[in-house]
Amino acid sequence: MRRIWTAALLLLALAGCGVQPSEVADGGRAPTGVASGVTLYFVDAEGGLVPQLRETDRLGSISEALSLLFTGPGHSELSTDIPEEAPRQVVVTARPDRIELRVPLAFDELTRTGIDQIVCTALGVHVQSGGSTDTTAVLQFTQTTAESKVERSCPLTG
Amino acid sequence: MIRRWWPRGLRARLIVAFALVTALGAAAAAWAGAGAASGAIVSETERYATETTAAQIEGIAPQLEYPPDQAGLDRLRAAVGADTLVTYGDLRSGDWTVADLVTDDLRTAVRVNARLATQRVEADSTPWLLVGTPVMFTSPDGTSAASGIEVYSAHDLTGVQERLDDLTRSAVGTALLALPVAVLLALAAAGGVLRPVRRLRDTARRLAAGDLDARSPTKGSDELAELTGTINEMAASVQSSMAAMRRMQADARRFAADVSHELRTPLSTLTAVAEVLGDAAERMDDEARESARMAVTETHRLVRLVEDLMEVSRFDAGTARPRFEEVDAAAAVRDCLRARGWTDRVEVDAPGLVRLRADRRRLDVMVANLVGNALRHGAPPVRVRVAESGDRVSIEVADSGPGLDEEVLPHVFDRFYKADAARSRTPGSGLGLAIALENARVHGGDITAADAPGGGARFTLLLPREAEDR
Repeated sequence: MRRIWTAALLLLALAGCGVQPSEVADGGRAPTGVASGVTLYFVDAEGGLVPQLRETDRLGSISEALSLLFTGPGHSELSTDIPEEAPRQVVVTARPDRIELRVPLAFDELTRTGIDQIVCTALGVHVQSGGSTDTTAVLQFTQTTAESKVERSCPLTG
Repeated sequence: MIRRWWPRGLRARLIVAFALVTALGAAAAAWAGAGAASGAIVSETERYATETTAAQIEGIAPQLEYPPDQAGLDRLRAAVGADTLVTYGDLRSGDWTVADLVTDDLRTAVRVNARLATQRVEADSTPWLLVGTPVMFTSPDGTSAASGIEVYSAHDLTGVQERLDDLTRSAVGTALLALPVAVLLALAAAGGVLRPVRRLRDTARRLAAGDLDARSPTKGSDELAELTGTINEMAASVQSSMAAMRRMQADARRFAADVSHELRTPLSTLTAVAEVLGDAAERMDDEARESARMAVTETHRLVRLVEDLMEVSRFDAGTARPRFEEVDAAAAVRDCLRARGWTDRVEVDAPGLVRLRADRRRLDVMVANLVGNALRHGAPPVRVRVAESGDRVSIEVADSGPGLDEEVLPHVFDRFYKADAARSRTPGSGLGLAIALENARVHGGDITAADAPGGGARFTLLLPREAEDR
């Protein structure tokens, strides 16, 4: 009889306690996004894609990175395949599994390397700010073309 | 010594058991429900807190200068919210309350695992959820490393605690509501069980009181019905064996009565013959005279025995009807002794007049049997003492013989009981004391036998002064 009462009291006591202190538990992936600069992709003398760290003290957004990319490599032995006179405004739309980039150029105005420069820079910033490495990029050009639907990834990292 | 306070009655025990079971069941359900709900609420709160914190940090991190200065840390702290601590090397931004809350375990987990970590702590009876995380560097190819910035944010769980308390309170309330229902159910169940039990008890009482016709109705086919059936069978078998026994007893009594009755006629002839034989004995030679005298004595003894037997049969048949009248007990004792020629062998100690309502003949038989027994088996002097005590009259017959054996004492009033097997041929019938006791009982009195303090047996006849017709 006594034991039954004890059990009943214990049950009530257990039910009466709400939030209990706990051990340390894992809460998932840590947030990321700090960086001492942004990585831009340019072309070297052999025509290969090369990352260049631009020391901006912060990572910044994808459109900021693309603006810097469109500005050109500056004073270095690297070159760019993106036309110098192009407008620097790129509209970035982030979807769950891909990033849509509205480029102010026609498909004809860009070489394959130029497209890779844009894709690698955009995806690089995306990954650095915590995005998935499986994310792809879709480039939408000023003229309607089937290339606007192609999902692209960076040949260097992806 | 702990007092056993719980009730012993079946009904009370059933009710207590029901109430306990209900309370336990309700408590278990409430506990399980509250446990599941509180687990869900707490984990949901934690998930929300960690996701929000991570999203807030990730939202501002790309805009943060690296390595950060104090202003950068302050911006990060402001973005995450109040109760937040941000550290980078020796720099720190945030209030000390959070710094005090953060445990070493959490700090270690954040540094070693380089992942987001949570911990619930309690400070000043306020529950807190701590979320700690390093802010990571990630290279464009996806590999990451700790940047050295750590963010700890504390989330007050008091609201959650209150919700859980409400939940528990309502669960306990529901459980308490179930109690009266349980008690009602228990009462109903107890009634269902106890009614047949009470019927059985009543039947058993009637059986014990001698009403062998008592039976319980059997209803249903449960264990109680089985028990009732068994008790009914038992009662029936007891009744039939009792009836058989009574029949046999009655047969035996009737046989004894018939035998003694049948013996009377030939005995009266035999008595007459014995008288003649006794008269003629004087003229016989010595040997024949001895035989004739023995025949006469034994015939007289036989007559007395048959008379005693018939008297006993009347008692057994319940046909012994006393005729009560006013009697002087002292005079009755003296008359009895005088009639039997015992006056010189027995001392009488009696006051002048002892008034008594009794059957004169039976009183004479009782005194004669008691005194005769004392004279035959005890040793002189034999004393008879008549005394009054309240509404009773006692007649005490004491002898100075060896007294009564321990073995003999319980059997002195048995019929044909012989204290000494070797002296079986005593002049008594062996029924004297039995008849005396039956007579005393007919008067509503009793006879007790005991050893007198000074040695010798003492029989005490106690009679009510006013015997009532029964």
